[in-house]
Amino acid sequence: MKNDLKTVWALTKAFTKRYFRDKTALFFTFVFPLVFLMVFGTIFGKNSGPSFDIALINNASSDFSKQFVESAKKGDIFKVTDVTDFAKAKEALGRGEHDAIIELPKNFGDVNTAGLPSGNVIVYADSGDTQLSATLSAVLQGTLDGINNQLVKIDKPFTYELKPIQTNNLSAFDYTFAGLLGFSLLSLGIFSMSEGFTGDKKAGALRRMQVAPIRAWQLIVATAINRIFIGIISVVLMYLVAIVVFDFNMRGDYVSFALFTIASITCLFGFGMAVAGWAKDGNQAAPLSNLVSFPMMFLSGVFFPRFLMPEWLQSVTTYVPLTPVVDGFRMILTEGRTIFEVGAQLGVIGAWTLVIYLIAFKVFRWE
Amino acid sequence: MVSVKNLSKSYGNKKVVKDVSFEVQKGEVFGILGPNGAGKTTTLEMIEALRPIGSGTALLDGIDVAKHPHKVKQVIGVQLQSTSFYDHLNLKELLTMFGGMYNQKVHPKKLLEDVGLSDKAKAEVATLSGGQKQRFSVASALVNKPKVLFLDEPTTGLDPQARRNLWELVQKIQKQGITIILTTHYMEEAELLCDRVAIMDAGKIIALDTPANLIGALLKKGFKKQKQVRQADLEDVFIDLTGKDLKEGQ
Repeated sequence: MKNDLKTVWALTKAFTKRYFRDKTALFFTFVFPLVFLMVFGTIFGKNSGPSFDIALINNASSDFSKQFVESAKKGDIFKVTDVTDFAKAKEALGRGEHDAIIELPKNFGDVNTAGLPSGNVIVYADSGDTQLSATLSAVLQGTLDGINNQLVKIDKPFTYELKPIQTNNLSAFDYTFAGLLGFSLLSLGIFSMSEGFTGDKKAGALRRMQVAPIRAWQLIVATAINRIFIGIISVVLMYLVAIVVFDFNMRGDYVSFALFTIASITCLFGFGMAVAGWAKDGNQAAPLSNLVSFPMMFLSGVFFPRFLMPEWLQSVTTYVPLTPVVDGFRMILTEGRTIFEVGAQLGVIGAWTLVIYLIAFKVFRWE
Repeated sequence: MVSVKNLSKSYGNKKVVKDVSFEVQKGEVFGILGPNGAGKTTTLEMIEALRPIGSGTALLDGIDVAKHPHKVKQVIGVQLQSTSFYDHLNLKELLTMFGGMYNQKVHPKKLLEDVGLSDKAKAEVATLSGGQKQRFSVASALVNKPKVLFLDEPTTGLDPQARRNLWELVQKIQKQGITIILTTHYMEEAELLCDRVAIMDAGKIIALDTPANLIGALLKKGFKKQKQVRQADLEDVFIDLTGKDLKEGQ
């Protein structure tokens, strides 16, 4: 047994050397998930309040109107584009380039009979988008109220104050990150196998290995250890990018994170191993890999939350192998749970691991 | 060293190996000759524990191949007919890895030196010429210091220089006391290298003796070559013109 394990170790070392020299494999394991992370992180990462793309037509010339425009441009809420032609602005609004058009009339900011600057802001917004109109009206009303208060000092009997409180509410990026971790481990576990491993098999490199007194389990375990190692590096890279670029808020502990990563990649690799071990070449492996991995991707909450699914589908997809992986990452990373608190997830992962490795050993073919 | 009795193998209804029996002595070079599809490779692969034995028995150094395939693999070296090695690993690393599978410390440098590939230690297999590849394949079959070395068509596809070079290698290995079983299509190769040959056709051994005895028996039947035997042939001309040295740009 000791000698058997020594063989496994010799193979693991050789496989790892190979992996780091294979540029295609490196790209798809390390760079590709990062690109994915950047793209999805940028899409879902913005966690700020509402903002509006505004086309501004300023017909006024008063100092007040200039100040008004400048302060609007300074804030985060409005993204202001200066326009002069109303018809063109309306066209752009129709295309969705602007959320609304704001027009300041000629007399905007002129001093009125009471000796105060006054004016009327005209807002054009799509009549179909009532929610946008309502939000925009509220924001503008708030802004104008602030100005009014400064101009006319009145003590208001009733006021309100909004106090934001910190909760563990997941941000969109937090949600996405756990899913992307699951996705990258899935592609490492399954797609890297269906390409590389079957290529070696077809070329006859595996048959050359079979000449030696080596058993299938040794080859499988050595490849698994190699992929676990690669998977950890990939996860660390993604984690660093999440922290540095997207201000990811890690709430869990690293030991739980590491252990859960190992359990996950071990399980997902089993699927790739079963497919690639059985397939005679890439032509057999590729469609089967897709058949195995696509349902996982769409049913396990990688890209959109499972709570959006109908209830019956939610209960079924609890047992899709990638679901506990993504859920577990989410619980550890963003809810601060420990490895002991994701027992249900580990249970499902463990059961799948057992089943899939039994299958992988059973269906393995050397050529 | 090797004892094969009534070895047979069928694929579906097709019997590809029929009742093959032979013995190979220690230190002998034993050749299996025959046209394509005669069952040479299947016979070898059954003895090498790479293919399940259909029926019959094969003993190797006293070990029953069917019962202890892994024990047999420990003591044999195999060069497969068409083989391939992992990419992204150089020759030295490949030999170390193969050694790891036998739990044996290997000396890649020494092995590569023995087959004349010292300067290719850091190269990948894909960059080797046909002859170099075959020599590396032999080196990889020697990592576990085997008692029996199997060579399946080691010189097929090689140029005359590379073939001669490999013949020398085979003779060198025989001198180390390693028993060799090889298959070939080239009769002059068999005549030069093999102490005894078995000729197979359609899955059966149809003759088994020393090359000299087989030739003698044929002559006794009154066989005469139709053409006058010349003192040289075109291959001799080729070697004379291009030299005996390897043409591999090294």
